[in-house]
Amino acid sequence: MGSTGILVALIGVTIVLGAVLLTRPAITAGTTGKILAFVGLCVLPALCIEAGMSTHMQRSEQTQFCVSCHSMTTHGQSLYVDDPTYLAAQHFQNHRVSPDMACYACHTDYTIYGPFKDKLQGVKRIYIQYLSTPPAVIHISGGYSNLQCLHCHAGARNFEENAVHHAMMDSLKNNQMSCISSGCHDTVHNASAVGQLKMWRPGQ
Amino acid sequence: MRFGALGVQAFIRIASVLIILGAVLELVSLRWVHPLAFVLFAFGAVSLIGLGILIYLASLVFTASTDSQSLGRNAKAGT
Repeated sequence: MGSTGILVALIGVTIVLGAVLLTRPAITAGTTGKILAFVGLCVLPALCIEAGMSTHMQRSEQTQFCVSCHSMTTHGQSLYVDDPTYLAAQHFQNHRVSPDMACYACHTDYTIYGPFKDKLQGVKRIYIQYLSTPPAVIHISGGYSNLQCLHCHAGARNFEENAVHHAMMDSLKNNQMSCISSGCHDTVHNASAVGQLKMWRPGQ
Repeated sequence: MRFGALGVQAFIRIASVLIILGAVLELVSLRWVHPLAFVLFAFGAVSLIGLGILIYLASLVFTASTDSQSLGRNAKAGT
């Protein structure tokens, strides 16, 4: 039984105990009933919230979760562009990041994964997606931080020994020169052009 | 209506209903991997379950205060 199975079982027990207390609240007059009420109406529900939040946070790290938003569809398709200059596609297709967590791997500080302020941003984006009009081109607020690249690439031999990287290492680490917008690795998703590009089909 | 007029059992019933509804919503939210499932859980299930827990805890406070008032009355009456 996986963690989701355990959570479902926990929720099931909570519902059963809740139903018992709903139909026979008089049992809480006795000591055993009081303990049962405390477990059924406080301990188990609190565990359901905690385990549910953990499960949903883990699920939200999946590529499938991110690209299920309509406005992220083309970003998801861009992972299959058959062009080695497309940064996100190359990372995804060559398993430089886990394909199941491709978005999260490069956007670990994005919306709900970051601190509370970022979580509020995530809720705002959900609001825009379902109750407002998403912008035609989506930008990351505050820009893309090099730290997202460096948490994997820093210390890697082929990155550190590259003469160009070596010459500008301080600027890269201080985020003064962006990895993706300085004429170096500037083709990332290019989501608006996805419809006109040749796509890689796995297994063909 | 006084807070205590509802009685402890009514509080228990209301808390049970809210927790059952919240738990059912949580079960539904686990059925698919989608941002709306997260919203359903975070705003629906957590709110209902959280409110249910709070109402249950309020019933405990109500019980404790009722018990202490009864003890006080009994002490005055010398029973």
